[in-house]
Amino acid sequence: MSENQRRPITARRVILLLVVLAVLLVPIPTFHTPHSRDVVIDASQFEYSPPRLNINRGDTVNVTLNASDVVHGFFLDGYEIDSRVEPGISQKFTFTADRSGKFRYRCSVACGPLHPFMIGELVVGPNEPVWRASALAVVAAAAVLLGARKRRMA
Amino acid sequence: MTGKMGNRAALVVLVLVLAGIPASIVGYQYWLRPALADHRVVDIAALVPENGGFSPDLIRVGVGETITLRFAADDVAHGIAIGPGLDIDLGQIDPGHVGEVTLTPDSPGVYTYYCNTWCSPNHWRMRGILEVVDPTAAGAVGAPPDPIIEALIAASVDIDAKPQLAEGISPDRPNGEQKLETVEVPPGLLDPTWRLSHTPAEGLVALQAQNPEVADDVLTDVTAYLWSEPTPTVEIKELFAKNCAACHGELGAGDGPAATSTLETPVAFADVAWFRRGDIWYAKIRRGGMGTDMPNFGTLFTIEETRLLVDYLWSLSFGES
Ligand code: HEC
Ligand SMILES: [Cu+2]
Ligand SMILES: [Cu+2]
Repeated sequence: MSENQRRPITARRVILLLVVLAVLLVPIPTFHTPHSRDVVIDASQFEYSPPRLNINRGDTVNVTLNASDVVHGFFLDGYEIDSRVEPGISQKFTFTADRSGKFRYRCSVACGPLHPFMIGELVVGPNEPVWRASALAVVAAAAVLLGARKRRMA
Repeated sequence: MTGKMGNRAALVVLVLVLAGIPASIVGYQYWLRPALADHRVVDIAALVPENGGFSPDLIRVGVGETITLRFAADDVAHGIAIGPGLDIDLGQIDPGHVGEVTLTPDSPGVYTYYCNTWCSPNHWRMRGILEVVDPTAAGAVGAPPDPIIEALIAASVDIDAKPQLAEGISPDRPNGEQKLETVEVPPGLLDPTWRLSHTPAEGLVALQAQNPEVADDVLTDVTAYLWSEPTPTVEIKELFAKNCAACHGELGAGDGPAATSTLETPVAFADVAWFRRGDIWYAKIRRGGMGTDMPNFGTLFTIEETRLLVDYLWSLSFGES
């Protein structure tokens, strides 16, 4: 009797484990077709406009970088991009947002006292860790609910 | 008793170390290194003009003397170049770094060391003078005479005359290049010196006299081609980008970001080119404006570089090939 009771529970555990693994590891399909985006970034003492860029993963980003007062730089963490821009001469460069997450861009030319605080943020979505964490929470809740019902029925 | 003496000894050692480190750094910088060097070494601090610019901002050196100039950026990133004609560009120097150059000038002259990284709103005022003097010759060294500017002064041409707007004239340069073979060009128009002292409008009149049967718009296009004929080199475009574009804009449209803070607003070269003489542009670049915030570049660039810049302005005005 106890043998028989344990077996379905083990199967259930295996299924639960598989679901959890799937949630953690299965690549999230991109729901939009990657396209090309043009963004203009203005660098001035001591900020970027826009200070935050939201890009969908897979998109090709065509950046036009302007400096509106003095020489500035643009160093993008995680994408190995470093550009230097002189006032009056726009810099153009292109990258493919193939890594999701949050990346900082910061000025790479010492442009004044607050230069170290000249920082912006590139967000390449979808934000996988958040999606996976919420899916895990749903799975856990379901498992708890199912377990409780089973116990009540037994 | 021994404890007290130990304390005192420790204190002495501490004081020696604390005072000794800065003392040896200063001593190395100002006494040992100059003493060891077989020639003069000058340290120049570079700060944005709002905080004093270069110090020192005047350096005298004798003909044949070897001198090392060490430029240290003390606040923000600067770029150091020395001109005219010395071809010295130390590139960008970041705060805390030093750029140095050693030279042995062989003839007297006046040179300018200047910043070529746009480091502040007043960046273009950031200059210092390097004077090469011949100890055996009497008298001060001045800038060598400039034949183009002297000719303008002799003819009492007003370098600061307000530009005449060329409304409705937008020549098609590529078409002019194609049609060049079909018209008869008077020898003057083929001579860069003649073109330098004449406006394209005057050139058109000369072309019309020679080709009465050809349509005016064709002749206009040919004139534009003749004035902007030399293809600008990469070097001259870079010179413009570094020194002019902040005010005049990348394509000379007068829309650079710094144009909003100059006393006068620069015109779009294309708007005035048709009625402008190249030698007036040349003189304006070398002498600068009169209280307009157009800087003088005669102490930075050679005559040749300035002429190439003027050629580039024609290209920007009439469209590059
Ligand atoms: C700090 C801003 C500034 C910079 C840098 C600057 N200019 Fe100017 N420029 C002006 C202003 C303002 C005027 C209009 C007033 C005047 O003509 O003096 C002007 C006028 C001129 C004119 C006369 C245009 C006309 O037909 O009336 C020429 C030519 C010119 N600049 C060339 C240059 C070149 C070439 C450079 C770079 C080597 C340069 N400028 C750099 C501000 C600047
Ligand atoms: Cu900056
Ligand atoms: Cu500078």
